[in-house]
Amino acid sequence: MSRHDAVVVGAGLAGLTAAVRLAEGGASVLVLAKGVGATHLSPCTIDVLGYDPEPVDHPRDALRRLVDARPDHPYRLVGADGVAAAIDWFKGCFADGPLSPYAYAGSVDENMRLPTAVGVLRPSAVVPETMAAGDLRAGGEVCVVGFRALKDFHPVLLADNLGRAAGVQARGLELDVSPEDRADVNALGFARAFDDASFRARVIGQLAGRLGAGERVALPAVLGIADPHAAWRDLEDRLGRPVFEVPTLPPSVPGMRVFATLRERLRRAGGRVILNVVVTGAERAGARIIAVRARVGLRDAVHEADRVVLATGGFASGGLELDSGWVARETALGLPVAGVPAPGDSRFRPGYFDDHPIGRAGVAVDGDQRPVGPDGAPAFDNVTVAGATLAGAEPWREKSGDGLSLATGHRAGGLMLAESGAHAGPAAVGMGG
Amino acid sequence: MARLRAEVLVIGGGATGAGVAWDAALRGFDVVLVDRADLAIGTSGRFHGLLHSGGRYVVKDVVAARECVAENAILRRVIPQCIEDTGGLFVTFEDNDPGYGDRFLAGCHTAGLPVEEIPVAEALRMEPVVNPAIQRAFIVPDAAIDVWKTVWSLADGAVAHGARVLTYHKVIGLHTEHDAVTGARLRNELTGEELDIDAGFTINASGAWAAQIVRMAGIEGIGVIPGKGIMIGMNHRLVNTVLNRCAMPADGDILVPIRTISAIGTTDIRAADADEIPVTQAEVDQMLAEGERLVPGLRRARALRVWSGVRPLFQDEKAGGAEVDTRDVSRTHAVVDHRKRDGIAALLTMSGGKLTTLRLMAQDIVDAMCEQLGTDRPCRTAEVRPPRNEDGRYYQVGSRLAKREARLLDEQLICECELVGRERLEETMRARGTINLDDIRRQLRLGMGPCQGGFCIYRATGILHGVGRLSGAQASTSLLAFLQERWKGVWPILYGDQLRQARLDDWIFQGLLDVEHLPETGTGAPAALLEEEPIPA
Ligand SMILES: Cc1cc2nc3c(=O)[nH]c(=O)nc-3n(C[C@H](O)[C@H](O)[C@H](O)COP(=O)(O)OP(=O)(O)OC[C@H]3O[C@@H](n4cnc5c(N)ncnc54)[C@H](O)[C@@H]3O)c2cc1C
Ligand SMILES: Cc1cc2nc3c(=O)[nH]c(=O)nc-3n(C[C@H](O)[C@H](O)[C@H](O)COP(=O)(O)OP(=O)(O)OC[C@H]3O[C@@H](n4cnc5c(N)ncnc54)[C@H](O)[C@@H]3O)c2cc1C
Repeated sequence: MSRHDAVVVGAGLAGLTAAVRLAEGGASVLVLAKGVGATHLSPCTIDVLGYDPEPVDHPRDALRRLVDARPDHPYRLVGADGVAAAIDWFKGCFADGPLSPYAYAGSVDENMRLPTAVGVLRPSAVVPETMAAGDLRAGGEVCVVGFRALKDFHPVLLADNLGRAAGVQARGLELDVSPEDRADVNALGFARAFDDASFRARVIGQLAGRLGAGERVALPAVLGIADPHAAWRDLEDRLGRPVFEVPTLPPSVPGMRVFATLRERLRRAGGRVILNVVVTGAERAGARIIAVRARVGLRDAVHEADRVVLATGGFASGGLELDSGWVARETALGLPVAGVPAPGDSRFRPGYFDDHPIGRAGVAVDGDQRPVGPDGAPAFDNVTVAGATLAGAEPWREKSGDGLSLATGHRAGGLMLAESGAHAGPAAVGMGG
Repeated sequence: MARLRAEVLVIGGGATGAGVAWDAALRGFDVVLVDRADLAIGTSGRFHGLLHSGGRYVVKDVVAARECVAENAILRRVIPQCIEDTGGLFVTFEDNDPGYGDRFLAGCHTAGLPVEEIPVAEALRMEPVVNPAIQRAFIVPDAAIDVWKTVWSLADGAVAHGARVLTYHKVIGLHTEHDAVTGARLRNELTGEELDIDAGFTINASGAWAAQIVRMAGIEGIGVIPGKGIMIGMNHRLVNTVLNRCAMPADGDILVPIRTISAIGTTDIRAADADEIPVTQAEVDQMLAEGERLVPGLRRARALRVWSGVRPLFQDEKAGGAEVDTRDVSRTHAVVDHRKRDGIAALLTMSGGKLTTLRLMAQDIVDAMCEQLGTDRPCRTAEVRPPRNEDGRYYQVGSRLAKREARLLDEQLICECELVGRERLEETMRARGTINLDDIRRQLRLGMGPCQGGFCIYRATGILHGVGRLSGAQASTSLLAFLQERWKGVWPILYGDQLRQARLDDWIFQGLLDVEHLPETGTGAPAALLEEEPIPA
C-alpha cells in the first residue's frame, strides 16, 4: 500500500503532462500505467487542429470557432489560450531536459504543412525542430531519402505524391545502407545507428554528388534517439542544406524523445512511474475516491490518493473497451461512457471515411474535467479526466490528438494544484514545497 | 475490336469454372476461362472453408452425402497441399432431437461414410473448449480446404495445358447463330475495352450469376435466388478439428479451423441481389450467440473479420419452380442442357453444387459437352495432380513459419501476422501483373491477420509503387480501395481487441499518414488503376 497526493492513471502525453505539473508544483505523484501509451507510436507533433473539416491555417482562430459551434468538444475545456499556455509549458520542458538543446518549434497561431510518409501535406502546429524544415507551405525542392532496410518509409512513393502539391518538386532516393547491413531494421534500430557519427558518415557518403543545388533533404524520423539535436545538425552542416525528418510508421522515435523528456522531468521532481500496472477499480468514500486498486501480474495492490487523474486514452490504448454485447466501459475506474449507440443501433457505417456514430464516444466531464454520469452530475469530486479518454472529438480525423492530450493534461495538473492550494489540509502535506 | 478463338469458353473463375477449365484442358480442349473480376472472388472466395465428409447430409440427402464421401477422398489424393487434414467432430446436445444421433450413424453407414463414435470425455480431451454439455460425439473425415490455393492450382494446371485465363473480363453478351451459342462479347473491366471471343462451346459456371448469362442467349424461365450466409473469423484456432452440431442443418452450427484462425458459420437468408450482401449487426449477434453454444467463451475471443457469400438457389419454371427454403434444396448439382431445355446448342449451365464436389461437377459438365460434341475423351482429374500438389502431402499449419525461420535474418518481413516476406511479395506482384493490392491480399493473405493490415498496407503500397512503376495517384487509389475493402469485413464485428486494433489503424492511416487527403486519387474504380501499361508478367 502506498499513499500519494495524486495518482495519475496513464503514462501517455496527457498523464505525463499532468504528473510533471503536479510534481513540479510540489505534490507527491505516482503514475500507474499498463504500458507506455501513444508516445511510442505517434510522431508527437503537437497537432492542435488540422481540419475543421477544411484545412486549418490558423488554429487559434479555428479553435474559437470550433468551441462555439461544438459546445461538447473537449477543446471547450481549455480554449485557445489554454492550448497556447500548454504549448509554452511543453516547449519549456525541453529547455533543460535530458535531450537539450533538442527543442520544439511553432505556435498555436499558424499551422505548418509537413509531408507524411505517403506524401500528404498535413497541417501541424508545433513540431520537433528536426521536422520544421519540412514546412512546404511556400513550396520548395525536396530530395526524399529512405533506406531499403526500413520498410516503414517509402521515399519514392512519398516524393511522387508530394510532387503533386503546389510549388513542390520532389524526388525519392532509396539507399542501401543499414546498421550492420541487416535487411530488416525498424525505426528505433536506425535511430540508434544515427546517434553514431560513423553511420551518419556512411549515409552522407552515399549522398555525395547526388543532391541538387536547391534541394532540401527529407529523411525518416530516425535521426538519433540519445542526442537527436547533434545528429540532425551534423547532417545539415555536412550536407550544407536544410534537413528534416518525416514521421514513419510506429515505433516512433520522436515520440520516444518526448516520453524520455517528460519522464526525466517527473523523476527530477520526485514523481514516479510504474509500468505494467493495470488499474482495475477504486475504493470510494462518498463522492471521493480514496484509493485505486491495481494489478501487477497476478498481485493486487492498493494505492491511496487524495486525487486521481484519469488519462488512460481511448479505445486505442485500452482505456475504453466495448464488449461483444456492445456495452462500453471505462477500464480503470468504471466511469460511465457517453456517446455509445444502444446495442441495436448502428455504431459504424459501411464507408471507411463516413461519420461513424460511435466516433466521439468517451468519458463526459463537467467544466472542471470531472467525470459526469448520464444526468450530468459529477461521478466523483476528486477525479480529473484528461486526454484521449474525453468524449466529444474524433482527433484522428481533426488532427488534434496530441494537442488535445497536452492541453487537457496541462489543465488537469493546474486544476488540481489550484484546488489543493485552496484547501490545504493534512492531505496536502508536501504540496507547495 | 480484338477477337479471340477457343474451343471451349468457360464463364466464371470460381471453384467450378477453374475445375471445368482444368478438366477440359486435361482432355485436350483449347480453353479460355474468363471472370469479371479476379479468380475466386465470388461465392468461392466467401465460403466456409470446409471439405465436407458428407456427415452434414447423411440424414437429409443421402445422394449429396455419397458424393461428398467419394469426392472428399479424391481431393485428398489430388490436391493435398490445398487441404489440412483436421478431421471432423459431430456433437449432439440435449436440446437436439434425441433420435438424431442414431439416425446420423445409420445415415453414415448407408452413405459409406467412415464414422466412429467416441466417448464424450475423449471428445472433450481432443477439443477442450467444446461445450461440456455435449451428449454424444462422432468422428468423421471432414477437413479444411483453402479455396485460393485450390482455384489457382487448377487454373495454373489448365494454363500448363494450353488454357488462357482472362481475369477482369466480364461477359456482356452471348453470340448465337442457328440456335447455337458461338461465343461471347467481353469487356475488360480495367480498361473498358471490349473484345469478342469465338467459341465452339460455352460452359456457364457463373454460379449465382448464371441466370444473367443465359438471359443473354434469350433463355427465359431460369431464376437464381441468392441465399446469403455469413461467417465470422475468430483470431484463434479455437478447435483443431472441424466442429459440427449433430442435428438438422441450421444457423451457426459449424466451426472450421482455417490456418491460424477459426470460422463460425453460417446463416441462410434470402437476398435480393447477389452483388449486394452486406452483413447486418443482427446477423453478427445471432452468429456469436450460436457460436457461444458450441464453444462457451467464443464471444471473448477476438473476432477478426466477417464475410458473406450467396448460395445460388436455382428456380426453373419448366421444372415446376416451387419456392423452397434455400437450405432445403438438395446440395447436389445438376447440368442444365440448353439444347434439350431451350433448343439452344453448345451451351451448358452448372446449377447448384458445393465446393467439395467441384471436381465431380466439372467432370459431369465436361462429359455432357463431349456427348453433345460427339467425342469421347475420358476425364483424368481423379488421377492427375495439378501444380503445387505433386509432393502428395497435406498442408500443415506452421509450414509458413518453418520456411520463414530458415531465413529470418536475410529477408525483410512485410506482413508480420501472415509471415509474408518481401521477396515473395515482389515475386507475386510481378507474376500476377496486378496493381491491385486486394488481388495480392487474396493470394498471400496479406493484411488478413490480427492487425488487419495496419502496418503491411502502407509497406505493400510503397513496394507495389516501385515494382509496378505506378504513379502516385494509382498507388493512392489502390491503397484507398484496399482500406475500404478491409473496412467492409471488419466494421460489423468491431468490439474488444479488434476495435482497439481498428482505432490504432485509424491513427496510422488517418492520423499519421492522412490518407484521406491524398492528392488526386481516382474514385477507387479499378479503371483508374490502369492509366499506364500493366506490369509486365
Ligand atoms: C499510430 C499513432 C499515430 C498518431 N499520430 C498522431 C499525430 O500525427 N498527431 C497527433 O497529434 N496525434 C497523433 N496520435 C494521437 C496521439 O498520440 C494520442 O491521441 C495522444 O498521445 C493520446 O495521449 P493520452 O495520454 O491521452 O493517451 P495514451 O497515450 O493512449 O495513454 C494512455 C495510457 O493509459 C494506460 N492505460 C489504459 N488503461 C489503463 C488501465 N486500466 N490501467 C492502467 N493504465 C491504463 C495506457 O497504458 C497508457 O499508458 C497518434 C496516435 C497513434 C497511436
Ligand atoms: C455461405 C456459404 C458457405 C459455404 N460453405 C461451403 C463449405 O464449407 N464447403 C463446401 O464444399 N461448399 C460450401 N459452400 C458452397 C460453395 O462455396 C459453392 O458451391 C462454390 O464456391 C460455388 O463455386 P462456383 O464457381 O460455382 O461459383 P462462384 O465462386 O460464385 O463463381 C462464379 C464466378 O462467376 C463470375 N461471373 C459472374 N458473372 C460474370 C460475368 N458476367 N462474366 C464473367 N464472370 C462472371 C463471378 O465473378 C464468380 O467469380 C458455401 C456456400 C455459401 C454461400
